[in-house]
Amino acid sequence: MASVLERVVRVTATVLRLDPAEIKPEHRFSADLGAESVQSIELVAMFEEEFGIEMNEDDALSVESVGAAADFIAKVCEAQGVKV
Amino acid sequence: MSSSPAHSARKEHPFTDSTEPNLLDDVFDYSLPPKIRFDGPIVEYIDGQPVQFDPQAVKKRDIHITDTTFRDGQQARPPYSIEQMVHLYDLLAKLSGPNGVIRQTEFFLYTKNDRETLDRCRALGHKYPECTGWIRADKGDFRLVREAGLKETGLLTSSSDYHIFNKLKFKSHKHCMDAYCEVVEAAFESNVRPRCHLEDVTRADWDGFVLPFVDRLMRMSEQVPEELSCKIRICDTMGFGVHFPGVELPRSVPKIVYKLNQECGVPSERLEWHGHNDFHRVHANGTTAWMYGCNALNATLFGFGERTGNPPLEGAIIDYISLKEDLCGIRTEVITEIADYMRSIHFPIPDNYPLVGRHFNTTRAGIHAGGLRQDERIYNIFDTTVLLNRPPRVNLTDKSGADGVAHWINEFFGLKGDDRINKIKCHKVARWVMDQYEVHKRETSISDEELEVKVQELMPEYWEKYAPRR
Repeated sequence: MASVLERVVRVTATVLRLDPAEIKPEHRFSADLGAESVQSIELVAMFEEEFGIEMNEDDALSVESVGAAADFIAKVCEAQGVKV
Repeated sequence: MSSSPAHSARKEHPFTDSTEPNLLDDVFDYSLPPKIRFDGPIVEYIDGQPVQFDPQAVKKRDIHITDTTFRDGQQARPPYSIEQMVHLYDLLAKLSGPNGVIRQTEFFLYTKNDRETLDRCRALGHKYPECTGWIRADKGDFRLVREAGLKETGLLTSSSDYHIFNKLKFKSHKHCMDAYCEVVEAAFESNVRPRCHLEDVTRADWDGFVLPFVDRLMRMSEQVPEELSCKIRICDTMGFGVHFPGVELPRSVPKIVYKLNQECGVPSERLEWHGHNDFHRVHANGTTAWMYGCNALNATLFGFGERTGNPPLEGAIIDYISLKEDLCGIRTEVITEIADYMRSIHFPIPDNYPLVGRHFNTTRAGIHAGGLRQDERIYNIFDTTVLLNRPPRVNLTDKSGADGVAHWINEFFGLKGDDRINKIKCHKVARWVMDQYEVHKRETSISDEELEVKVQELMPEYWEKYAPRR
């Protein structure tokens, strides 16, 4: 089973139309990967769908990088009893 | 005050940090239009001497609004039908409330329709607005006033030399003054209170004509019962009036009101300001007249009047509340009802027109919509939902962002507090909106009707839950 980080990278690549191989954990969604305002919303929505979780909007949107998103999602999954 | 305040007035302003917002909600309490508070006297130099005005006095004086929608307002458009005028009069009474904040409205008396309108308005039985007449300065016209059973009528007493010499062809100021005073005398004899309209007074010869004329009117008024004594309407016919202090006569609103009120002795309750908007000063000038001692502010619905229009009545209502710090019985939501009615009879109201335009509290920028979503007070002037029956809205374009989309959807469903849908759940609609501009190169904003269809299509679970209860 893919890790949380691998799944985050896959979703990010799909939403931002990038090659997954080019996405690194330290990459920032906006500054490095070019995510625009609506795309940031779409990323959070797709992460929720991918992991079957509900995230706090403001907290989720304040996460800046791919690696931080994986950590954040892992914690939310744990808090909501979702196995990853 | 020094002429170099940047040097002489400098002082330190100590910083004290705070972790709590200071929203100044005593003044901006949101349940009312923002209050207008004063922290000292106003000083105006009159004939070289400083004169202090106490702005607090306006909070206690019986200031009020008089309406001229059916007279000046109607001079600028095809005539209203009788039914339309009667309905508008009824709405004015409803807006005014029981305290007569909209104290009077004036009617032409010349045609059969004019007189039938007047009769039907009075038959409604409203105490306010009181119906008054408007006639030319012609002695014979008092027959019309008497037959209509009116207690008061306005009459033209044009005061600038443009009118006196160039239009009316009087040979001298005295010749003109005598003629006007004859008409005023005729009003007294007819048991009708004359309201002398000092037409074009903001470019009149004040020392040569206006002040001696008003002195004479006041002397004449001393000879008749109080209820017949002359009222004075100050007519800024061409919009030349200027509201800020230090301006010389004849353009200074403060000096005009002071001279008539204090030097000629026209009591505040018999002074009225009538302005025009040729230089965008009409509303400020009207409120300023209130401040300096004039009790009546003459206005029209949505400022519609000759050329550039008159003080907007609904703006005067809001300033009245701001000054009095109380609704005083005014039913502000009727402003919206009147605007809706006016639109239904094809009266043009620009979309960005304050208080009633379709988009007066609509924001397009996403960053503003974000603010609205967090706390509507951030980008809404007061509680427009309660006071005007108009919730703040967003109009969607490529600048609206997901915040704007989420705000629109929540307002559409009427969701409050925890029920409001967050913007993450609105992402499909937000994407559709962005694609309209980025992919399809759209150049117009998105209509409510289009968006409604998209919400139904892209957020079916929310549509099913909330649409039935709209």
